[in-house]
Amino acid sequence: MTETEPTGAPFPHQVFAADVRAADYPPPFSSAEVIAGPTDAPDERIEVGVLIVGGGPAGLACAIRLGQLIEEDPATAERLGEVPVALVDKGKQPGSHLLSGAVMNPRAVRRLFRGRPEQLEGVPTYGEVPGEGVYLLTRKRALRIPPPPTLRNHGNWIISISQMCRYLAEQAEVGGTFVLPETAADRLLVDHGRVVGIRSGDKGRGKEGEPLGNFEPGSDIVAGVTILAEGTAGHLTGAALDHFGLNGREPQIWELGVKEVWRVPKPLRRIVHTMGWPLRKPARYREFGGSWLYPMGDEMISLGFVVGLDYRDLELSAHDLLQEFKTHSFVRAILDGGERVAWGAKTITSGGWHAMPRSLGAPGLLLAGESAGLVDLARLKGVHYAIESGRLAAEAAFRSLQRGENPGRIGAFDGYDAEVRNGYLGKSLREVRNMRQAFEKGFFVGGGLASAMTVSKGKFPPKEFHNEPDAAAPLLRTDRASRYPAPDGVLTFDKLSSVFASGNRTRDDQPDHVRIERKVPRDVAEMWAWMCPAQVYEVGEDDGDGTVEVKLTPSNCVQCGAITARGGRLTPPEGGSGPEYTLT
Amino acid sequence: MSTLVFLEHHGGVIQKGALGVLARALALGGDVAGVVVGHGVADAAASAGAFGATTVYVVDDPAFEAPLPQPRVDALEAVVAASGAENILFASSVLSADIAAGLSARLDAGLNWDVTDVRIEGGQLIGKRPALGDTVLVDVGWTSTPRIALVRSGAFEPVETGGSATLHDVAVTLQDFSTAAQIVEQAHEQASGPSIEDADVIVAGGRGLGTADGFRLAEELAAALGGAVAATRAVVDAGWYPYATQVGQTGKSVSPKLYIALGISGAIQHKVGMQNSGVIVAINKDPNAPIFDFADFGVVGDLNQVAPKLAELVRARTA
Repeated sequence: MTETEPTGAPFPHQVFAADVRAADYPPPFSSAEVIAGPTDAPDERIEVGVLIVGGGPAGLACAIRLGQLIEEDPATAERLGEVPVALVDKGKQPGSHLLSGAVMNPRAVRRLFRGRPEQLEGVPTYGEVPGEGVYLLTRKRALRIPPPPTLRNHGNWIISISQMCRYLAEQAEVGGTFVLPETAADRLLVDHGRVVGIRSGDKGRGKEGEPLGNFEPGSDIVAGVTILAEGTAGHLTGAALDHFGLNGREPQIWELGVKEVWRVPKPLRRIVHTMGWPLRKPARYREFGGSWLYPMGDEMISLGFVVGLDYRDLELSAHDLLQEFKTHSFVRAILDGGERVAWGAKTITSGGWHAMPRSLGAPGLLLAGESAGLVDLARLKGVHYAIESGRLAAEAAFRSLQRGENPGRIGAFDGYDAEVRNGYLGKSLREVRNMRQAFEKGFFVGGGLASAMTVSKGKFPPKEFHNEPDAAAPLLRTDRASRYPAPDGVLTFDKLSSVFASGNRTRDDQPDHVRIERKVPRDVAEMWAWMCPAQVYEVGEDDGDGTVEVKLTPSNCVQCGAITARGGRLTPPEGGSGPEYTLT
Repeated sequence: MSTLVFLEHHGGVIQKGALGVLARALALGGDVAGVVVGHGVADAAASAGAFGATTVYVVDDPAFEAPLPQPRVDALEAVVAASGAENILFASSVLSADIAAGLSARLDAGLNWDVTDVRIEGGQLIGKRPALGDTVLVDVGWTSTPRIALVRSGAFEPVETGGSATLHDVAVTLQDFSTAAQIVEQAHEQASGPSIEDADVIVAGGRGLGTADGFRLAEELAAALGGAVAATRAVVDAGWYPYATQVGQTGKSVSPKLYIALGISGAIQHKVGMQNSGVIVAINKDPNAPIFDFADFGVVGDLNQVAPKLAELVRARTA
């Protein structure tokens, strides 16, 4: 099949539909394999009151709130045991795996530290948004357009999520939480239909899984309540949603963001969002996304490019789109004379209201932040949803552990579910519930629908939209990659040196943590190779039967989660592996 | 300022890295002494004299036969007490890292690790330490004495000065818990030729060799030059060459006098493991390969032709 581009389009005129979908080559992974009962002898298990999985804004807000509740109610605190609250995180240290824009609505963090002004003042920020501009880019020009209501950021704070959460982790520890970094949550412990904790990942295994000299088995960490706050594409979250039948009305979908931090000689005095170039507008490409440029004080700039993972062109590469974006005269002028100091990539949960889990709890289990699907993509906001849901989850967990309550009871957490859905979190998500899906109709139709949805607070258009999983996108080939700039090491960079800039120095000889089908059509293999910002996938030898072998370099992985969206499955590598973000 | 250098030895031979740290310590000035711990190590201790050590403390006892860290923490504690050393320097190795960490805890002393240089400034010892994946160098200091530093392997070259050392025996009483661990078995990797950390010449192979078989070219050239063969992560991942030979961020750091890179693109992950080499020669068919940006000599060409020819010329010269 060939289609013809409209004249004047910057891309070659030939479009080849490859007619294959990554979804047809599912990974060798089943959620059931990571759901298990405890295996350690009872006296060897680590017992905690509340266990939080993930040291991002949701998990840390939850830990901080639990610390406050424990202080206020010593009687219940005593029931939580010797280790009342523990938080595990797979990163080298708190913040190592955190990446976001980020402009944060301060509402939730103010609420979290209500009555504690010193703690609130200590939150590291780059100040309030000083002003903003939204631009529509064409190849040559940048047209300033009035900001849509969803992109008005007056009063919001510019932050680095990695820096902010390092601070929140300190506050959580001050409040009594045991923070355990370098600890991957490998399996969800379920006993008689009730979540009873997690099993941490083994360390010191070789390529084939064989124990090496420094082998250290994981441990069962059992808890009265387990809170999954794993962020995007969470390992145990995915398994728990399957196991308890909690997947939302629509399949979850994601966007992929690639970010850089630059040190620049001249300050940027406002935040900038762009739409349009280098993405293509016609609906058939399904290229939804845009960029941000945020000042981090006078000397640094955070910039990034985000693209929806339901795209079709197999040569689409978010990393290379960011590099291409930087060559626009508008962006070049901002970065002129500067130097890149950090790089990273991460997916963003984008299914919104329709893809939210059917319930945000199960016996013994609570979901918070992105694990609960709480991202408002239209407003580009997720951090304050994470903090607010983490706080509410802490209160729900604490209530359920009071005398006479039982966190393992069916419906024990219905109150939490209702608080999230009926509070401002749910209300704003509901308003924009169809916005992301509308953009599958292309940039202009989607843009028009989005405006209508905003004005009508989601009442118009009256119909509910549906979406497919990202991996179901039928692939296209349009020679897109020929437009990516060759890396010059000054303005534009290749993937490998970028992985280096992420601080990643993962041990090479550990078992593969990325699960994919290794024999796939060349189109699927090429799509993965282009998609991955960290050069994990490589197209190998032709097998002679129409498929190729996919080669993996898992130690490059920065655990962005894109492979989970696009037909594979990310599982956590050995704790402490992966990027070591500090500024992102 | 008095400085103690831990002289790690294997089979009676002091390690090159430790002698390099000794040379640096001597260059800093002040009282410098070495320390050798083991069983039957008097000759090894004396051999340090040729590298400028005038004083070597010796802890010689059957209890130190096995290369275990914990007894050596006891030994170092006693030597530090006997010598009154203010600085204790280690060349990084698996054993030394354990001892340095243990000693740091024992003496409640500060430890700076992965240091690539030390200097004295205003009477203070200052270390240099790469950070953020070797992209920046930071100065590190100590707030109290003794100061312990673990120096990155290959950071300094030994300097042969001639001379002899005075040996001082130190008696050590081991803590009960220090004898709890035993070595059950020691296995050595079969190695032909020098290890890549010790070699003066390294011939390293990358993807450009084409196949595992292509490493014959590297081996042939290394044999002609009397050097060792190393490999990049990509080819180790592909199973062409053993992990022990991997140079780079997640492999070993090497600093030979001559480093010949065959078919290596020079990604920064590789560069950080070999950038301290004396002379870097790159042979690659891609003129845009990043390795040419930091090689001293480069050949753009087919390594299947260049490498054998080079080996032939070297053999003709040395015959």
